[in-house]
Amino acid sequence: MSQSTAIHGEKISLLRVLGPGHVWALGVGIVLVGEYMGWNFAVGKGGAIAALIACWFAGLLYTCVAMIDSEVTSTVAAAGGQYAQAKHIVGPLMAFNVGLFLVFAYTMLEAGNAITLGYLVQTVGSMSGFADTHDKPFIVLTIMFLAWLNYRGVYATLTFNLVITAIAFVAILVLFFAVQPWTGEYMKHRELLTGLPYGWLGVLAALHFGMWFYLGIEGTTQAAEEVRSPARALPLGTMTGIITLLIAATLTWYVCAGLMPWEYLGQAVTPLFDAARLTDSTVLMVLLFIGTIFSTLASANGCINDASRAWFSMGRDRYLPQVFGAVHPKYRTPYRSIVFLVPVALVFAYFAPLDQVITFSILSGLLEYTFMAINVMMFRQKWPLGTIKRGYVHPFHPLPAIVLLVLCSATYFAVFLGYGTQLVAMMVFYIVASLWFALHRYKFVRRGAQFTMPWPKPVGY
Amino acid sequence: MAKAPYQPPVQSKLGQTFDTLFLLVLVMASLFVPLYLGLAGGGKTTLELKDQTWAGMGQNATMQAQWEKLGYTQGAKTDANPTSAADLISARFDYTFEPLELVLTALVVIGYFFIVFHWSKKEYREVIDERFNNK
Amino acid sequence: MNHFQLLEYAAWGLSALFGLWMLIDLIRTDRTYSEELLTSSQEGEIEDALVIDPTHQGGHR
Repeated sequence: MSQSTAIHGEKISLLRVLGPGHVWALGVGIVLVGEYMGWNFAVGKGGAIAALIACWFAGLLYTCVAMIDSEVTSTVAAAGGQYAQAKHIVGPLMAFNVGLFLVFAYTMLEAGNAITLGYLVQTVGSMSGFADTHDKPFIVLTIMFLAWLNYRGVYATLTFNLVITAIAFVAILVLFFAVQPWTGEYMKHRELLTGLPYGWLGVLAALHFGMWFYLGIEGTTQAAEEVRSPARALPLGTMTGIITLLIAATLTWYVCAGLMPWEYLGQAVTPLFDAARLTDSTVLMVLLFIGTIFSTLASANGCINDASRAWFSMGRDRYLPQVFGAVHPKYRTPYRSIVFLVPVALVFAYFAPLDQVITFSILSGLLEYTFMAINVMMFRQKWPLGTIKRGYVHPFHPLPAIVLLVLCSATYFAVFLGYGTQLVAMMVFYIVASLWFALHRYKFVRRGAQFTMPWPKPVGY
Repeated sequence: MAKAPYQPPVQSKLGQTFDTLFLLVLVMASLFVPLYLGLAGGGKTTLELKDQTWAGMGQNATMQAQWEKLGYTQGAKTDANPTSAADLISARFDYTFEPLELVLTALVVIGYFFIVFHWSKKEYREVIDERFNNK
Repeated sequence: MNHFQLLEYAAWGLSALFGLWMLIDLIRTDRTYSEELLTSSQEGEIEDALVIDPTHQGGHR
């Protein structure tokens, strides 16, 4: 592919080159790493069976998210995704908060991925007999390389993601068939499953990390200004993405729970890689090692893409200093936002512990989903069906929104169990940021010009 | 009744830099302050295991086989036995909490959303007025 | 000095290279083009046909 340098006319925009496959790769690429690491902390919080229940409840939560998101985004298709939705449907302060949720959910996830990748390379180094190995150089290299790739253009970035995500997904499928679930030779669920060590409270607590199976799928909307036909490709990519993840999550649970005692599984760093080790097959071990590396790369890559789009669109509206609203004339990427977020990711990946970073990310995601449930109800109210063209209409409204809200409340409680202080620290951060925006920053924002969709006046105004 | 659209002031480069730095500091603070105050991390406890053989730790033959395959051993964790599984098996979360803490946390979350939605509504009305009255 | 250490130094070196590359390109781009052009992107065009900058239509796959 070539990214031509000629500029005619006086405006530059992001480049519209992506198809539904790229949208799928962006969504699944960010999330699939959750199957390779992190989801199993749900086993630690409530036992293996609790993790399965949490996996399906979180799956329901995210199916609601995907349906709601597909409808709103097939209409409000703009870089920044949920940020632009909030701006058009709820109002500026909410939009600013949503923009921050997005940036931090993704940047923290990126940091988490880099930490995991560094750890893996270091482990391999130690396993091959080298003393005194370090993970830091590989953490830094991951972030720098992927930022560079993102800087150079979206098409190459997401095509790269499509390839490595597909490989990581196939690795899970291969593992599933290799353990021959129909023979019972490897799978020992009957002997390994032990009921609920914490009772039903554990099931609720497991929801916290159950989200990790799917966290980030809603990032597909960030590509809205780079997709060739957003109204079709975004719902298609998002829905196939969530189906892929539901399959991968269930298979992952099945294989891991049939191979490892829950006490180990609940604290493992790389559960799928461990599962491969327990099959005694070198081929599988290598495959799942590659899968783990690729999934962390794909995820960090997609995160840089999404976080920079959100930061960029906030800069463009002057919610943030307007220098961030710049597009590179040659590569057509939000290059200043990409560069700015590099040191932020580096600091977190370098100094903060993994579970801390993950919780930071999960909480930002959770706040975002809570917003989405209320958002879609307001959307249907202000622009009832038929008043504007929707690329996709989700069924059973308002049931998905209500289910989403209930599940979000349960997940807040799950995070509160064990991580209550972080929850409050996060809220303090968003409250201070909100005050800063409302009292200081908002005076630099144009008022009517923020509303860019060609819609009629909302009902009730 | 079209009133003149709001003209925002243009922010100087210095102002833009300052705002960027402010956000950076805020982000770092919210992550590192709980970390430094030692408030982070889940409440955890340890089960008392009197008998640290596989059977004593509640592991059946299949479990034992998988533990051993993963490179773990039975018995207490000592320098002579660094691969003991005892610490992993006895680690538990502590889910006891003060109801007051729960209520306060819930109030913070609900209050936050309430204020943000309320304030947004005020700003949104202004946006809609300007967007649709001046056209 | 073993092989793994070499690998670590290589990783540091490459990181610095990627970082420098981005930084130099950023400064050069900012100098070459006017700020108005760089920040001229607009939100809101949902259909392909509406995209400003017609020279980039259809030229890419």
